[in-house]
Amino acid sequence: MVSMKLTSNNVLILLPVFNESKVIFSVIRSIQKEGWKKILAVDDGSTDNTYDELKKTGVIILRHSINRGKGSAVKTGLEAAKILNSKIVVTLDSDGQHNPKDIKKMVEEIKKGYDVVLGIRDFKKRHIPRFKAFGNYIGNIFTWMFYGLWVNDSQSGFRAYNKKAVDLIQTNNDHYEFETEIVREIVRNKLKWSEKIIDVRYSDYDQKKRNKQSFVSAVKMIIKLVLFG
Amino acid sequence: MNITTLSLILLIFSVYSIVDRIIRFIRKEQNQSVFKLVATIFIWGGISYIALFPIHNSNTLIFFGFIVVFFILFRLLSILEKNERLLTEIIRKEALKDLK
Repeated sequence: MVSMKLTSNNVLILLPVFNESKVIFSVIRSIQKEGWKKILAVDDGSTDNTYDELKKTGVIILRHSINRGKGSAVKTGLEAAKILNSKIVVTLDSDGQHNPKDIKKMVEEIKKGYDVVLGIRDFKKRHIPRFKAFGNYIGNIFTWMFYGLWVNDSQSGFRAYNKKAVDLIQTNNDHYEFETEIVREIVRNKLKWSEKIIDVRYSDYDQKKRNKQSFVSAVKMIIKLVLFG
Repeated sequence: MNITTLSLILLIFSVYSIVDRIIRFIRKEQNQSVFKLVATIFIWGGISYIALFPIHNSNTLIFFGFIVVFFILFRLLSILEKNERLLTEIIRKEALKDLK
């Protein structure tokens, strides 16, 4: 057990946000309702009213002047966490697919002494689209081939890091390859990691989103990882 | 097999490049990928083969032609990728200014 007094002030909730004006206010309110006070939103060059919606919530906002991708937004957030001296960082998607009630169990896992906790979706559940389960399995195989570590959800955006992990992790990729790169960094830095099953809710809004991870982006991701690491 | 000074130099350089790349890959150094490893073995392996068994026909020319095109393409993609990353770094620094 790590002897560390953790209050919600020591935990930074990091949300990479891109064009989520319709849902971002309610997503942040639902996180705040769970008692998490320190929330950082990185607006990744949204072209809709996302920034105005974020201002209404009272969270810390950082803004990319142009869209650079989810990975770049998370990295900006992790750099901010170093400046804010956060003890734990929890990242989750800003479209409302993740349940804020799960943040607590991710934080508790870090308190047990893990450096990184990966939130994994339970693909046996019926409401998770089959193509997502299949795509994720392929992603897991490639991740294992590249970095020699088998994880059950290589593409999940719900993750928690302690300060040591935040300081050591170095990533280069701007888009969804970022999630896979984290696995590489776990191996490279010999970080202690674990997995925790999380709840996901796929709404019509999420399925119709234009900026969601597609098959084409997955193929691009694999080519980029093969070419540039 | 007719080993000249030039082929010996090429051979030493090829072995050095391949071994260096394998070590970097095993150490999981930043920016090392399976592609870079395979490309290094393929290119330097080919060069050392030609250094050891010189063939003076069109196949050799085609092989070197492929290497040149492949190398140019890879350099261009690398430059593009590097510029993308630089742009992201500039935007990140700009965003973090609000926090400092």
